[in-house]
Amino acid sequence: MSASGYLGLLPLAILAGSAILVLFGLAFARQRYETAFALSMAGLVAALASLFFAWTGAPQRFTALLVLDHFAYLSMALSIGATIVVEFMSFAYFRARREENGEFYFLLQLACLGCAVLASSSSFASFFLGLELLSTPLFTLIGYRREREAGLRSAFMYLILAGVSSAFLLFGMALVYLETGSLDITTAARAASGSASFTVLAGLALMTVGIGFKLAVAPFHVWTPDIYDAAPAPATAFIATASKGAMAILLVRFFAPAGIAGAGPFAWIFAAIAGISMFTGNILALREGNLKRLLAYSSIAHLGYILVAFVASGNQGSAAVSFYLVAYFVSNLAAFAAVAGLSTNEAEADSIEHYRGLAKGHPWAAAALTASLLSLAGLPLTAGFMGKFVIFEAGAGAFLWVLVVILAVNSTISIFYYLRVVSALYRPASEAGTGSMSPRPAMPALAAIALAAMAIAIIVIGAMPGSLMAFIREVARDIASNAAAAL
Amino acid sequence: MNGLGSLALYLVVVVAIVGFIMVLTHLLGERHSQRGTAVPYESGIFPTGSARIRFPSDFYLVAMFFVVFDVAAVYLFAWAVAARELGWAGYAAILVFSLETIAGLAYLWKMGAFDWGARRKREHLERHGY
Amino acid sequence: MMLALFIVLPLVCGFAAWILGSRGSTAGRWISLAGNAFNLVLAAWLWIAQASGSLVPVEGTWLALSSMPWIPAYGISFTLGLDGLSLLFVALTSLLGIAAVLASWKGIQEKVAFFHFCLCLVLAGINGVFLSIDLFLFAFMWELMLIPMYFLIDIWGHEGRHRAALKFFLFTQIGGLLMFVAIIGLYLAHAAATGLRTFDYRLLLGTALDPTRGMLLMLGFFAAFAVKLPAFPLHAWLPDAHTEAPTAGSVILAGLLLKTGGYGLIRFVLPLFPEASRSFAPIAMWIGVAGIIYGGFMAFSQTDMKRLVAYTSVSHLGFVLLGVFAFNVQALNGAVIQMLSHGLSTGALFILVGSLQDRLHTRELSRMGGLWSAAPKFGAFGLVLTLALLGLPGFGNFIGEFLVLLGAYRASVSVAVVAAIGLVFAMVYSLRMYQLAFHGESSDTKEVRDLGAIEIAALGAMIIALFWLGIFPQGAMDAASRALGGILGILGGTA
Repeated sequence: MSASGYLGLLPLAILAGSAILVLFGLAFARQRYETAFALSMAGLVAALASLFFAWTGAPQRFTALLVLDHFAYLSMALSIGATIVVEFMSFAYFRARREENGEFYFLLQLACLGCAVLASSSSFASFFLGLELLSTPLFTLIGYRREREAGLRSAFMYLILAGVSSAFLLFGMALVYLETGSLDITTAARAASGSASFTVLAGLALMTVGIGFKLAVAPFHVWTPDIYDAAPAPATAFIATASKGAMAILLVRFFAPAGIAGAGPFAWIFAAIAGISMFTGNILALREGNLKRLLAYSSIAHLGYILVAFVASGNQGSAAVSFYLVAYFVSNLAAFAAVAGLSTNEAEADSIEHYRGLAKGHPWAAAALTASLLSLAGLPLTAGFMGKFVIFEAGAGAFLWVLVVILAVNSTISIFYYLRVVSALYRPASEAGTGSMSPRPAMPALAAIALAAMAIAIIVIGAMPGSLMAFIREVARDIASNAAAAL
Repeated sequence: MNGLGSLALYLVVVVAIVGFIMVLTHLLGERHSQRGTAVPYESGIFPTGSARIRFPSDFYLVAMFFVVFDVAAVYLFAWAVAARELGWAGYAAILVFSLETIAGLAYLWKMGAFDWGARRKREHLERHGY
Repeated sequence: MMLALFIVLPLVCGFAAWILGSRGSTAGRWISLAGNAFNLVLAAWLWIAQASGSLVPVEGTWLALSSMPWIPAYGISFTLGLDGLSLLFVALTSLLGIAAVLASWKGIQEKVAFFHFCLCLVLAGINGVFLSIDLFLFAFMWELMLIPMYFLIDIWGHEGRHRAALKFFLFTQIGGLLMFVAIIGLYLAHAAATGLRTFDYRLLLGTALDPTRGMLLMLGFFAAFAVKLPAFPLHAWLPDAHTEAPTAGSVILAGLLLKTGGYGLIRFVLPLFPEASRSFAPIAMWIGVAGIIYGGFMAFSQTDMKRLVAYTSVSHLGFVLLGVFAFNVQALNGAVIQMLSHGLSTGALFILVGSLQDRLHTRELSRMGGLWSAAPKFGAFGLVLTLALLGLPGFGNFIGEFLVLLGAYRASVSVAVVAAIGLVFAMVYSLRMYQLAFHGESSDTKEVRDLGAIEIAALGAMIIALFWLGIFPQGAMDAASRALGGILGILGGTA
């Protein structure tokens, strides 16, 4: 292993090392909360910066476990970036009980490391390691506000569901291993696409169930609204973005090169999951009065959109998945930054009623939240529109006309509930007075910065997506060729 | 396919035997309902109070720490068996692993996780100015 | 680059109005007025240049083109093109933009800055729709104009605004998305046939399509334009949206947004899918006729004045659909003139109804009456506009309807005969409206303030333009004819 080989490992090493530093900071520093935040932020920024140095060395394999190609680095950048934004919105959110809240940053960073490992794994072993590294901190993050009973209950629920889905995943891996005799993902995928033996198909089906739970696509979505609602807003933001994103990236890495997604029984299975997720998510969201739950339902639908591009497979499909993930990340992070920023220690800002009249007191926050919701709805001048376009293009290019039309219909349905929230922002708050706090507290600075940065990102990607699109296509072209080279 | 077939057969046989035994005992066994029937058997003495008493959580903590650090020892053992074959790379890896474990230990120590009892914990917290 | 100004200027004005206007309420009004006035001057200058022959086409029938790369990875560029057809509509946009600003001068007192931001954004989007000849850009602009329009209705509308705004948005959005999918389908078909991935309209013209696919893609486009136009069964959003919108919103909806539908049919559906549109033409013409009759009948039975005017739009735009699919030069010219004059006359009527509502706080015809004596200027302007509405010779509406019927007669006698019945309805509902509102006696209207200077200025300018279209239609027809000739050439239709 050459020096540049270890340079490629640098982002992961920095993430892990700085997590330990955060732990020491928590143990020994006086201002534990601020120290933990600062150390963790420094580690994340350093890891993000190290990606630039690691980039030139790619693609390479690090032992049998990790493949460090551009695609992996891109998704690492996404997870780390999302984690940074989440930390920004957490700072004020958890400050009230600062003596016991410093650990949040440690756990968040571990989960981020899990995402990074997941995205670069090339073997079932590292896949599983990354997954557990991601899931285990999430239990705690979900139930982090111990004084809230619903949070604890949801943490427990997530624990059980994650355990069950891991069991499915492991059993599936074992069956695939039984047939192919290899833990390597691409080898396994290739073998699986060639001979469709019963054992392999059963194994893949079990793995699909496990992955489906993590992605929260229908029919494995039932946990989403409760956990989104009960978890603290920053933790929800992390679950909605980094956690799901890493899994989606892995899905592309696993299935796309072998063409399993594009043909055979699994194309049908994933197409069905995509269609059901879109309808389920959007229809359940229609009558939801709680913003966090609404975003949960909408994320089910969004993962359905992503699966359309995934089923399209090939370079276009992989590029579309990645680009849509970027758009989905910035939009969701903006929405949750608003929720986290407007929540107080007493009350979570989760009911839509709470947002009535926001335009009056916080015009800029209202504008940013509007941008985020319009982006989720896929309207122009926002990242979401461009995301929809690349998915449409990938889907139509693969002749998935039925899915594309379902996607179009669902976009329209989704507009109904996004606009309901947008409309609430600009209505006077006076009418009922319930839930809407009349003297709203000012938004904390860091959360406001996160919100503003994400809103600007939404608009910039929406207006000038050219270079980002070209870049992502270039990167996506990599995975196909790398996978071919690995065989 | 053949292997799976025999597995399925095995499953069927197991379920059938267990079910058969349970049905048989249900049919043949005697049933009676008296004052002491539902009471747990405590060598002829009637139990007093509920079994659900609150243990100090320190017990659970100690149990968990034991499991965590015990598993760490298992990894060390696995490395030691193959230490020569793994060479310096393996040594580096296990070193990192050990350091991480020690870091965890240091954190727990400093946080007062090993202080026994509520009084000691309060003292610890007061010493840290909370 | 000058073409980009038509889009960029309203955008800049919108942001400026929003930021500067949040301090004092008049800054926003003046900024958006200035932006629109500048655009009108620009359009007028272009108009004079092309009419006098000093502006010659640079390529084909395009008088001006500007292009810069936008998303090269997908063959998308920011390409704007202006020909006679788009020039007419861009000029209409600027004129009605000014009218909308003036109409809201007194009526909008809440969140003025944000109102003008939305207004300018809609106008930028509409100009973008009329100018973009990159299909991706077109779809982008098409969707872009919806969001601020939604806000205009939802925030500043009347009592039932939330429902109406949502309905408007959902209808147009589903159509727009189907069109977007069809655009991508066309793009991929072109890429498969030639290997060139591009959204450029000029290159996509003449893409070879097999009949089934051509028909499906054409229907995707048609869905979007038919909702916007609106064609008969898809009009359900229109009465609510027009009625509940604030005056400026109604002016823009009726005057401009509906025109984007007709423009899209002429610019995209016919030339991109000549075979498919030819085989679809009989159905489309009957849909148009159904709209004419249905709209007229519904207008006749309304008691709400604004709703009545809204239903007349369904009827008048039925003529546009009929004209577009008659496939000859008279009908196509007629459709263009009809769109322009409908934009002017209906826009002006909405301003009139809006100012009546500001004064009387009702739109119910039964509570009006006797306005002629109470407010003579109202009466006079009302009379002129009513006559325009029913298609009296001398107004643009007459020229439009006459040419459409003439062309339709050449295409299909039965269609033209049934469509002509619509003119009778027009007579009946117009005169009924005028009689109920302005004649007779009523106690409610005694104290009505007459039209103010701002309103007279807006209405006057629009009526002058209407007369110009009615008396000298040749100017507008000349401007459009070269562009329309090119389109008919593709269709192989009778000239």
